[in-house]
Amino acid sequence: MSIIFVSLILLPNLSIIVQFFSESNDNWTHIKEHMLSTYITNSIILILFVGVFTALIGTSLAWLISAYDFPLRGFFKWGLILPLAIPPYIGAYTYHGMLNYTGVIQTTLRNQFEITVNQQYFNIMNMPGAIFIFVMFLFPYVFTITKAFLARQSTSLIENARILGSSSWRIYFKVVLPITRASIVAGVSLVILEVLNDYGVVKYYGIQTFTTAIFQTWFGLGDLNSAIKLSGTLMVIILGLLILERVLRGRKRFSFTTTKVKLLKPVPLKGRNKWLAFSYCMGIFSLAFILPLLQLIYWALLTYEKFLSNELFSVIGNTVFVAFFAATIITVMAIVISNFSRLHRGLTAKLFPKITILGYSIPGAVIAVGIVTLFISIDELIYSWGWTSSYILSTSVVMLIFAYIVRYLAVAYNSVESGFERIGTNFTEASRMLGNSVTQSFFKIDLKLIRGAIFGGFILAFIDILKELPLTLILRPFNFETLATNAFNYATNEMIHEAAIPSILIIIISAVAIYFFHYVLERE
Amino acid sequence: MFVHIRDLHYKYPNAEELTIDQFNLTINKGGITTILGESGSGKSTLLRLIAGLEMPTKGNIMVGDDCMCSHSKFVQPENRGIGMVFQDYALFPHMTVKENIQFGLLKWSRKEKKTRLQEVLELVNLEGYDKRYPYELSGGQQQRVALARALAPKPKLLLFDEPFSNLDADLQIKIREELRKILKTTGVTSIFVTHDQEDAQALADNIVILRDGKITDTGTPDEIFGTDCDISERLAVKPRVLSKL
Repeated sequence: MSIIFVSLILLPNLSIIVQFFSESNDNWTHIKEHMLSTYITNSIILILFVGVFTALIGTSLAWLISAYDFPLRGFFKWGLILPLAIPPYIGAYTYHGMLNYTGVIQTTLRNQFEITVNQQYFNIMNMPGAIFIFVMFLFPYVFTITKAFLARQSTSLIENARILGSSSWRIYFKVVLPITRASIVAGVSLVILEVLNDYGVVKYYGIQTFTTAIFQTWFGLGDLNSAIKLSGTLMVIILGLLILERVLRGRKRFSFTTTKVKLLKPVPLKGRNKWLAFSYCMGIFSLAFILPLLQLIYWALLTYEKFLSNELFSVIGNTVFVAFFAATIITVMAIVISNFSRLHRGLTAKLFPKITILGYSIPGAVIAVGIVTLFISIDELIYSWGWTSSYILSTSVVMLIFAYIVRYLAVAYNSVESGFERIGTNFTEASRMLGNSVTQSFFKIDLKLIRGAIFGGFILAFIDILKELPLTLILRPFNFETLATNAFNYATNEMIHEAAIPSILIIIISAVAIYFFHYVLERE
Repeated sequence: MFVHIRDLHYKYPNAEELTIDQFNLTINKGGITTILGESGSGKSTLLRLIAGLEMPTKGNIMVGDDCMCSHSKFVQPENRGIGMVFQDYALFPHMTVKENIQFGLLKWSRKEKKTRLQEVLELVNLEGYDKRYPYELSGGQQQRVALARALAPKPKLLLFDEPFSNLDADLQIKIREELRKILKTTGVTSIFVTHDQEDAQALADNIVILRDGKITDTGTPDEIFGTDCDISERLAVKPRVLSKL
C-alpha cells in the first residue's frame, strides 16, 4: 500500500520531467533569451536576503527566550509563532493598505500634523518591501526549530560555557550559533521553499519570479508547454539547493543522543537589558502580528455587513471541507508510510521519506502544472474508452485534493515520524512477545502512543491547506472559492477592505490551531 | 533438554563480521542460564534471535518439542509462547498495571484474567497496585510489573535483557534474590543476559560466557568463578574471569 501512495506522489513530478524534454516552441525561445535571467536574479535576491534576515531574527529571538528571563517571556514563547498564522500574501496587501497614500499612516500624518511625506519612502511594493514581508511572516520557522533545539540539546554545553567564564555575547557567537547551525539551516530551507512557492506576494508587488512566470505563460499566453519548461527549470534549481544543503552539512552532526532532557534555566535580566530584550521581542511581534491584525479588524468592521451572506458561508464551508478531507487522507497516508519505513529495512524503506518530502519542496505552481497534465491524460484515456461524455476528473475537486496531498504529505509525515521515533520499537516488540501480531500491536499500542503526533500532523496539514493559494487558484473547479482565493481576489481587484473578512477568518483559525498545537506539544 | 540451540549464525545487514558465530546451547527445564558478556559481544542480539525479533542467517532453535526456527521455518515472536522482560521494561505508558499485565492474556475469559492478575501480583508482591500507571511506580516496582506481565501468559521460556541495569546497587541485590525465588517457585525456564558477573553468579544455574559472538566458556557458577563464594575470594578471582571475557 505504501508503494502505491508513494508512486501517487511521484507521478505529477515525473510527468513534468517527461514533458520537459519535448520540443520547444517560440514562446520558450523568447522566454529563455529575454526573461529567464530576470526570473533567476529576482528569485535569488529574494532567497538570499530573506534567508539571511530570517536566520538572524529567528535565532536571536530563540536565544533570548531560551537563555534569559524578561517581562512577558512566557507569552513570547508561543506568541512569536503566531505570525505564521498570517499568510505572507495577506501581510503584503495589509501593509500596502497601511502605507499607501490613503492608508492610515499617511492620512494621520496629513490630517493631524499636516505633513505630506515623500511617496518614495512609503512605497512598499518593491523588492525590499517584499523581502520585509517574507521576513516578518516567515521568521517563525527558524525561531521554532532553533528554540526547540536549544531547549533539548544544548543545556550542558551552554552551562559549561558559562562556568568557564564566557560572556553572553561570546557564548552566543562561539557556542550557540555554531551548535544551532543545523537547525538554522533546516529553518531557513523551509523559509526558502516558502518563498519560492509564493505567488501572492510577488504577484501583488509586481516582482517577476518563476511562479509568476509560470502563471503568466500558462494563463496569459495559454502556453502549457513553456510553463512546463519553466517548472522543470525551477525544479532543477530546487534540487540544486537541497543538494547544496546536504553538502554544506557534510558529515558534521550537531545532535547527540541523550535521554536526559535538562532544561536551560533562564537568567533574569536587569535594568536596561531587561527592557531592551522586551522591546526587541515586542517590536517584532507588533510588526509581524499585532499591527496587520488591527488594520484588518478595522477594515472588517467597515465591511462586515456586506459579508454576512450565504456566499461567505459557502466559502467557509468549501474551505473547511477540502482542508478537512485532504488533511484526513494525508494523515492516514503519513501513518501507513512511516509505519512501513519504521518496520522495514532496506532501500525502499529509506527512500520513501525522501520522496514524500519532495512534494513539499516543489512549489505549488509546478505541482499544479504536473497534476493538470497528468489528469488531462487520464481523462482523455477514460473519455476514449467511452465511459464518460466529458472530462470528469480534471474539472472536479478531486484534482485539487490530490494536489494538496502531493504537496502537504510531508508536513503530516514529519510529525508522525517524529512520534514513532520517540516511542521506538520497544513497545511493539513487548506487545509481540505477549502474543499480539504486528497489526494488533499497531492498533492497541503504537497508534495510541503517538496520538499527539498524529493529531499535530493533522492540524499542521489542515492549516497549510487553509492558507494555500497558488495550487488552489489554478486547480479549483469553476466557481469554487476558498477563503484564500476569496481574499486574494478581492485584494488584487483593489478591494482591500473586502479582503479583510476572509483574511481574518484564516488568521483566527490558524492562530487557534497554532496555539492548540503548541499547547499539545508543551504538555507532551 | 528443554531449550536446544544448534549452530546459530547471525549477521546484521551491512555488517562485515558475524554478530553471532556458531552458537550452541542446551538448557534443562526449569533451569536459569545467564549469558555473560561485555557490551558488543552479541548477547542482546542472541536474546532477540531466541525471541524471534531477529531472523538468524542460519541455525535451529527448539523450545520444548516445538521448532521455533530452522532453514525452512520461522515462527513469529507472537506465536512462540516466549516471554521477555526488556531492559527498560517497556511498560505501556497509557495502560494501568492491570491492563499491562492482562495485555498478553488474549484468549482468556474475564474470570480467568482476574484470577491470573491476582496470582502474578501476589507473586511479585504488588497486591493493590493494579490501578496505578507505570509512571506512578518506582524503578523496582516497574521492574516487578514487567516481570509479572511477562509471567502472566505462562510462557514456556522467559528472557531477561540486562534486567538490573536501571536499578540502584542495593536494590539490585535485593531484587536479584527475590527474582531467583520467584523463578524457582514458578519453575519457568529462563535466560538472562548481563554484563555483571555478580548478577550472573547470584542468579544462574549455568553461565555462558560470550565474546565476539562466540562462546568462550560454559559451566556452573562454581566451575567458572571457583568453589569459594566468599566475597573477598570472589573479588580476587575477578582478574581470572576478566581475562576470559
